[in-house]
Amino acid sequence: MTAASTDDAAPHGPGQPSRKRFALSMRQRDAIAGYLFIAPQLIGITLFVLVPLGLVFWYSLHEWNVLANTFTFTGTANYQYLLSDPALPETLMATGIFSAGLVAFNMSLALLLAVLLDQKLRGITVFRTLFFSPVVVSLVAWTIVWGFLLQKNGGINGMLQTVGIEGPNWLRTPTTAMISVIVVQVFKNVGLNMVLFLAALQGVPRELYEAARVDGIPVFKQFRRITLPLISPTMLLTMIITIVGSLQVFAQIAILTQGGPGMSTTVLVYYLYQQAFQFHYFGYGSTLSILLFVIVAGLTFLQWQLRRRFVFYEN
Amino acid sequence: MRRLTLLSTCAAVAVLSALAPVAAQELRMTIWSANEAHLALFNGIADGFAATHPGVTVKFDSLPFADYTTTVTTQIAGGNAPDLAWILETAASDFVNSGALYALDGALGGDAYDLGDVSKPPLGLWSKDGQILAMPFSTSPFAMFVNNDLIKSAGAKTPAELIAAGEWTWDNAVATASAVGASGKAGLIVRDFNYQTWKNLAAIWMGWGAQPWSEDGKTCTFAEPAMVDAMTFIHDAIFAQNAMPGPGVNADFFAGDGALTITQISRASLLPKENPFDWDLVPLPAGPAGEYYLIGQAAIGVFASGANPELSADFLAYMTNPENSAKLAQFFPSIRQSLLNADALSKTNPLLSREQLDSVVIAGIANGTVLPGHSGFAQIEQVVRAGLDAIWVQDADIPAALSNICNRIQPLLAR
Amino acid sequence: MRTELSTGKKTALYGLMCVLLIPFVFPTWWMVTSSVKPISDIFAFPPDIIPRAFDFSTYSKVFELQPFARQYWNSGYIAALVTLGTMTFSSMAGYAFARIRFPGANIIFMIVLLGLLIPAEVTIVPLFQMFNRLGMVNTHWPLILVPIFGAPSVFATFVMRQFFIALPVELEEAARVDGLGRFTIYRKIALPLARPALSAVAIFTFLHSWNLYLEPIVFISTPEKFTLPQALTQYTDAYGGAMWNIQLAAATLTALPVLIVFIVAQKQFVEGLAHTGLKG
Repeated sequence: MTAASTDDAAPHGPGQPSRKRFALSMRQRDAIAGYLFIAPQLIGITLFVLVPLGLVFWYSLHEWNVLANTFTFTGTANYQYLLSDPALPETLMATGIFSAGLVAFNMSLALLLAVLLDQKLRGITVFRTLFFSPVVVSLVAWTIVWGFLLQKNGGINGMLQTVGIEGPNWLRTPTTAMISVIVVQVFKNVGLNMVLFLAALQGVPRELYEAARVDGIPVFKQFRRITLPLISPTMLLTMIITIVGSLQVFAQIAILTQGGPGMSTTVLVYYLYQQAFQFHYFGYGSTLSILLFVIVAGLTFLQWQLRRRFVFYEN
Repeated sequence: MRRLTLLSTCAAVAVLSALAPVAAQELRMTIWSANEAHLALFNGIADGFAATHPGVTVKFDSLPFADYTTTVTTQIAGGNAPDLAWILETAASDFVNSGALYALDGALGGDAYDLGDVSKPPLGLWSKDGQILAMPFSTSPFAMFVNNDLIKSAGAKTPAELIAAGEWTWDNAVATASAVGASGKAGLIVRDFNYQTWKNLAAIWMGWGAQPWSEDGKTCTFAEPAMVDAMTFIHDAIFAQNAMPGPGVNADFFAGDGALTITQISRASLLPKENPFDWDLVPLPAGPAGEYYLIGQAAIGVFASGANPELSADFLAYMTNPENSAKLAQFFPSIRQSLLNADALSKTNPLLSREQLDSVVIAGIANGTVLPGHSGFAQIEQVVRAGLDAIWVQDADIPAALSNICNRIQPLLAR
Repeated sequence: MRTELSTGKKTALYGLMCVLLIPFVFPTWWMVTSSVKPISDIFAFPPDIIPRAFDFSTYSKVFELQPFARQYWNSGYIAALVTLGTMTFSSMAGYAFARIRFPGANIIFMIVLLGLLIPAEVTIVPLFQMFNRLGMVNTHWPLILVPIFGAPSVFATFVMRQFFIALPVELEEAARVDGLGRFTIYRKIALPLARPALSAVAIFTFLHSWNLYLEPIVFISTPEKFTLPQALTQYTDAYGGAMWNIQLAAATLTALPVLIVFIVAQKQFVEGLAHTGLKG
């Protein structure tokens, strides 16, 4: 983060009394203005994020049976169960595979599409619109349609049949089920990352390419040496958003596989949803929520730390 | 900031205008149907109730079926329990045993209600310690719909022929389905099963006398010989005889894709009106353990934590009294004996013949066992679903998969 | 990278893009065409690219079975309010975080960023309890207030902050020397320049609100107050069986206007994002 502009401790030339007085009152007025500007959002975040998060933590220390209306303090019992929960390792494994696969596929496809759409071609906006179109289709409708297409006798295998391939039973084999939920999610949302990348690509100064061409640097090298570094800040940001998003995917799995076959596509947020809302274990569900939050926050922190090594900044 | 104030005022006005005024005595009932005809009927009943209870209105909240129990639970968790709710048979145990429901005996005791007219066996699931905690309003038997056109063109015997010959058994039913399966269409479709909603397989395994757990619900019986035999039979029908569409295969009986389908009779409304095929409705075939009947149920319960459970219970009693039960019966089969005769039923089910009503509906409701349920069913359902996935492959070790399921659900059952 | 390409390369690129388009376009095409198919044709194998028979009555049924026009209005006005509100408050907060020095700004910004990290499933129950205590359950308030002020608005604030950081500061400094107040500077100078970032925020926010699924299901329970994604799941028969062709017709109706808006506004949208640079 380029934090310099928000640095409140910036020195203001001490030893000049008259200017200092002016500066102070200016700073005070600024401070008041600043707080007023952020007040709506800060109050909102406190009310709708911080307080609920605190409550979730409080619930996680209880056994809460909603139907029986019992709410008993059990201390760390839920956390101890978390460590011994036989389903949790499978769930975490599925979560890891799903998120890694989704992020890798999403980022590379988005980049590929963005590069293609950055070409000077007639009718390119038509392609851009079409690639973006799934973003505006209702998630539920999109997933239901894919659910049909991925059946053993569905549209995908129908198309494969015309070229002589017998397609797998997509949603009924652990590996292909995982691939399917990833792919369906990526095709739905890759348009957003694609547009972000496209915007970043178009923000790269043309002169740099001109210069590189004059120097006889091949296109692929131009891409690696000029384009990638210059769009790396965007890539970092989209990557964080995509990872965070991948850990929240739920409706798609509920519709396509219900976490199966076996437990192969039961990711953490789906498991959490099951425990809290379907099995009525709100206490344990809250514990899983805290776990999910810790994972998301940890990953984000890690990426933020790594950014210095991989992200190129102009300034 | 004036502009912002203006903006938020506009927002406030816009939202406030979207809010309906709240009546003093409003009862809220959650349902999973958004069907206009159903809602019109319910609202008519609510108006009738208001005639004797001035100022009382009933609001019917339609929640999506897929998320129904979950949504109701969330509302309860948030401290906003509905006054009344439809409850599905699989969730019955949770709701009945939780203490969340208000006992109805007081409200149902009046002469006008005629509780003696209500069949007692279907009430079992909804009662605890001799008290009725919810009243079934829809009791729908499972039966087999038949597409005679497909069967005849495959050269197989129709169920009607088999029944006439006294040979309506699972072996023969699967032979018929297999013949149709060989012709490229689907044989037998267990509707809504989709290799996920396994409780619907009860329509088959009951023929072997199998059940998922013991009567008291404490012991897993998935690994018992009866269940192993039944599952082996089903597996064989799917993977060896091609008599049932395999996992991941879409086939819709009512679109003409299959020869036989097991579903609730209320689905007769899905039979195609254009390009109809020659259809039939027959009871489930007999298995090695003999004949049997399976029913699905939905009931109405009153939440004890509501603002006025007594009034809610009165409304429930009004909604299911003899007169209104007769109205509901056009959509939801009743458990009132006075409505369980071919005369009364044929008025509300014009599609079905008297014989079909006798052999399927009346016999089914009178003798039926309800779909399996258990307290904590949602979790058990998930664990069993994950465990059964090991069976839905070509070379499955069925006994091992079933005993594995028992290992996983035994602690949940014993709880 | 944008060089003039030879005809051969162009043809290859067109070909590649057309192949890549299949998984993006076919499901939508299937959705639209299936919405006018008789239900028995929907599951035909292999699927029909062009319907064999047309049945447009599905579209009138969409409106008969539910107060769909009302639900359309609900989704529309909620998304509009959320978009306006988010543009207002997030641009203010983003401006303050980028431009104004005040004690604790960094810490507060970090706290606000927490909102990016929390899945809706995690906080839905406490939120439900809060709104229930305020008597706002089964009203549209939670669907309006939480997106404007809560977690979903954080991304917008972030985008706006990044935009304002990248904006040259000289104009504003001249205005400050002239003695203009912060709000006037924000309103009269910074905001007009922020149009590209605002348009990006607008599209993201609108889409997010338009497609919200979990929250409406939890908060809203009367069909007249439903939003569209919630309404889509209600096209079922009495026993939960989906009426596919009607559902798909309704889904088509919900997707089309947004797609049209995107087609019209996409140039501004993409350029808006390009200007923000969205740097970490």
